[in-house]
Amino acid sequence: MPSIDDVTDAPDELSDEEAESLFEQADEVQDMMGEVCPYPQVEAKKGLQGLDAGDLLVQETDHVPCTENVPRAVGDDADARVWRSGDGVYRIYLEKQ
Amino acid sequence: MNSLLVAAVVGLGLGAFLQKGRFCFVNAFRDFFAYKDSRVTKGVLAATLLTMVFWGIAYQLGYYQGFWTPAWGLTGLLGGFVFGIGMTYAGGCASGTLYRAGEGYLQFWLTLAFMGVGYAVFTVAFPTLQSTYFGPLQFGEGVSLFTISPIPAGLLALLVAAGVTLVYATLVGRGETKGEPEERATVASVQPSVLLAPVVGARQFAAGTRQYVDGLVEAWRTPLASSKRPWDPRTAALGITAVAVLWFTQVSIVGVTGPEARWTGYLLSQVGVDAGSFEYWGAILFRGAGVGVTTDMVMIGFVILGAGLAAAWSGDFSIRVPKRRRLPNAVVGGFLMGAGSRLAPGCNIGNIYSGIAELSVHSFIAAAGIVLGVYVMTHWIYREVGCAI
Repeated sequence: MPSIDDVTDAPDELSDEEAESLFEQADEVQDMMGEVCPYPQVEAKKGLQGLDAGDLLVQETDHVPCTENVPRAVGDDADARVWRSGDGVYRIYLEKQ
Repeated sequence: MNSLLVAAVVGLGLGAFLQKGRFCFVNAFRDFFAYKDSRVTKGVLAATLLTMVFWGIAYQLGYYQGFWTPAWGLTGLLGGFVFGIGMTYAGGCASGTLYRAGEGYLQFWLTLAFMGVGYAVFTVAFPTLQSTYFGPLQFGEGVSLFTISPIPAGLLALLVAAGVTLVYATLVGRGETKGEPEERATVASVQPSVLLAPVVGARQFAAGTRQYVDGLVEAWRTPLASSKRPWDPRTAALGITAVAVLWFTQVSIVGVTGPEARWTGYLLSQVGVDAGSFEYWGAILFRGAGVGVTTDMVMIGFVILGAGLAAAWSGDFSIRVPKRRRLPNAVVGGFLMGAGSRLAPGCNIGNIYSGIAELSVHSFIAAAGIVLGVYVMTHWIYREVGCAI
């Protein structure tokens, strides 16, 4: 069973500038616009399998639940940060551990 | 009280709380099976138990309009299973589809449309299904345990809620004592491990609740900014309970697919179909009162509006165009949800949330069917990367 701490640790949020500069360093970008759960979770896991430690995988999505579900799905495999554009587009930054 | 006003308040409230809490039953079970994420599962559990307690008390005091208790039997298991498969494939349950339609997802408007197709096909097939499916598979009259229990309803609800919380604490505690050898070593040396699990779990539960309340207090310091961030599903659970109690005292239990099936009949009647002549719409869903707009249909409409307003406020509203490869999910998933919810009968809200909260025998079976459907479909979708449970 999961611990109660799972409830509270939401992924860190990135500022607009950080999000932009990090986006340029991405090793792989997954276009998840128009997708619904759980496919982004599955794609994130598959994407990370093909990357080396330290590599950055970025998902661009318009599906709100992904900002929490994708970081949780990859768990300890990646360090997750999220950027919210404010108009329904989100980026999820996954740094493979 | 004016029933339209109640429908508006309850609908807007439900929509907003569903959206802010991401209150999705697919998420609650699928992510728990796939990678043991239980945040939303806890929210669903909290909402169901809280609602059970308050509905039990309201029933005991006489403040209620009626229960929804279909006949029980294997239909719950089969229909629930079909519904569970459908909602997992569609990526949203009955309530999740509604609030995402409000967030501007064309994908989920399409899902709603194909749920409508499911309702219509079921309605046409209903006379045949009644003799070949419902007849042999329904075993007895539906009943709410509140109405037959010798224990007063309020107390019964409290006992069940306490029992479920204890089981939950035991499960968490068992996981925890396995995970932390130090704690086990210090506490287990004086207590047998059978007793230890609920104690550790209850301590975890208390700590978690304390943490949650602290978070809530913290959030209240900046109410505007906090209202735009995603809310803890447990906060949504409290809000949902409040409007569900209002609904229960004024109208009925909370359902989604029943009113949606009525919408389908109503909309078809507007384009010239004589919906009232079909037995299922005329005699059963509209109860011979004629095809029109009922209070619960208005309420469902307000759920979409409430979710839309909450999403716009939070910066989550946007007209989202689906990927072409996701269209089968809306078409097939929506159809299975529509048909499954009629075959059971009832959706995740009618059976898992309301049905368990009103202690309906039929809903226990249907809830099991739905969760089983989610389990099977989750394993299929995750076949390449694997599931945790």
